[in-house]
Amino acid sequence: MRFCKPVAAALFFVASVAAHAQFPTADKPQQSSARGGDSVRYLFPEQVTIPAKKASLVELHFRVADGMHINSHAPHSKLLIPTNLIVAERPGVNVSAVDFPAGADFSFSFSPKEKLSVYAGEFILKAMITAQAGQHLLEGGLRYQACDSNSCYPPKTIPVALNITAK
Amino acid sequence: MLSPKSKGIPSGNKEGLITSVKRNYLVLFLILASLALMFWAGWANFESRRQQAARIKAQHMALEPEAENAYVSPLQGKPAPAFTLNDLSGKKISLADYKGKAVLLNFWATWCAPCKVEIPWFLKLREQYAGQGFEIIGVSSDDLDKDDKAQLFQQKAEISKFVEQQKMTYPVLIDGEAISRPYGGVDSLPTSFFIDRQGTVVAQTVGLVPRDEIEADIKKALGGN
Repeated sequence: MRFCKPVAAALFFVASVAAHAQFPTADKPQQSSARGGDSVRYLFPEQVTIPAKKASLVELHFRVADGMHINSHAPHSKLLIPTNLIVAERPGVNVSAVDFPAGADFSFSFSPKEKLSVYAGEFILKAMITAQAGQHLLEGGLRYQACDSNSCYPPKTIPVALNITAK
Repeated sequence: MLSPKSKGIPSGNKEGLITSVKRNYLVLFLILASLALMFWAGWANFESRRQQAARIKAQHMALEPEAENAYVSPLQGKPAPAFTLNDLSGKKISLADYKGKAVLLNFWATWCAPCKVEIPWFLKLREQYAGQGFEIIGVSSDDLDKDDKAQLFQQKAEISKFVEQQKMTYPVLIDGEAISRPYGGVDSLPTSFFIDRQGTVVAQTVGLVPRDEIEADIKKALGGN
């Protein structure tokens, strides 16, 4: 039995090496670009439970496609189109305020002095929601205007839907 | 010298010795198998990296000629789609008005940062090549709320302000969206079409491109090639 422990250890080591090796199998799928399509995706939540008749903070998560950015809610220039959440009014549910994160400073390589305020990657909007007891469907849209490193795309609105259970 | 001792091994010990030899063979086999597996894993890793490097090299090689040849428009070699749009003063302007001239048709918007970079280049290039029969037509792709007069007035005022600030001395037309479709669905800005004196599209650029590329395309439109 005195050989068993070192052998087991050697085998475990080899198994680990083998597991970490990159085998020449099928290619990984390439990341798709958002050119011309939706540059922003609503991630989650799809449903929330909140106390009835009490203002509750709900975090809405979004993601900007790799290589793209969108103007923040407060861009530095009046000409730029800010990101906004548009919510359809529904009986029994009310969005009293939406808190947008501060944008990150960004400059195009061709115009390094001009600072833009943008969202890139994942960002979170904090919505203050009050609802009467029961089930509600909150429908709205996120309006944004996206650019990549050398092109800009027309403003777009993506749907945002949230099932609310208030009790 | 060994025989007296070997002769003297008791039978129980003999069995133990045989078991021990068998175990040693097993251990030796396992060690060899482990080494073989390690070698295989190492080879697999090396092969994967080699293939990845080859793929990157191939992509790099594929990109180089594209950079040299630039973007080829589906409209290239075809007649530029005819259009009539209003300028900011409400005057109707048609592409046909520029027959016999080389035209740079540039789609832009007030919210498009890369578009702003091109404008000073356009102004200088227009001045440089105007004598040879060259003109630039700027087409604003800013949204226009045609059903709401007050809103429309405001939107036109914003475009006018931008045009003034950027000192855009060439003709600027509005409602680019109305002619986007015949021009292939202009969905990214800036986008420019270079049209020769016969009204044929000779080049198109999408996104911000170097000034030299724009000038080369202007020369192509002028027939200098």
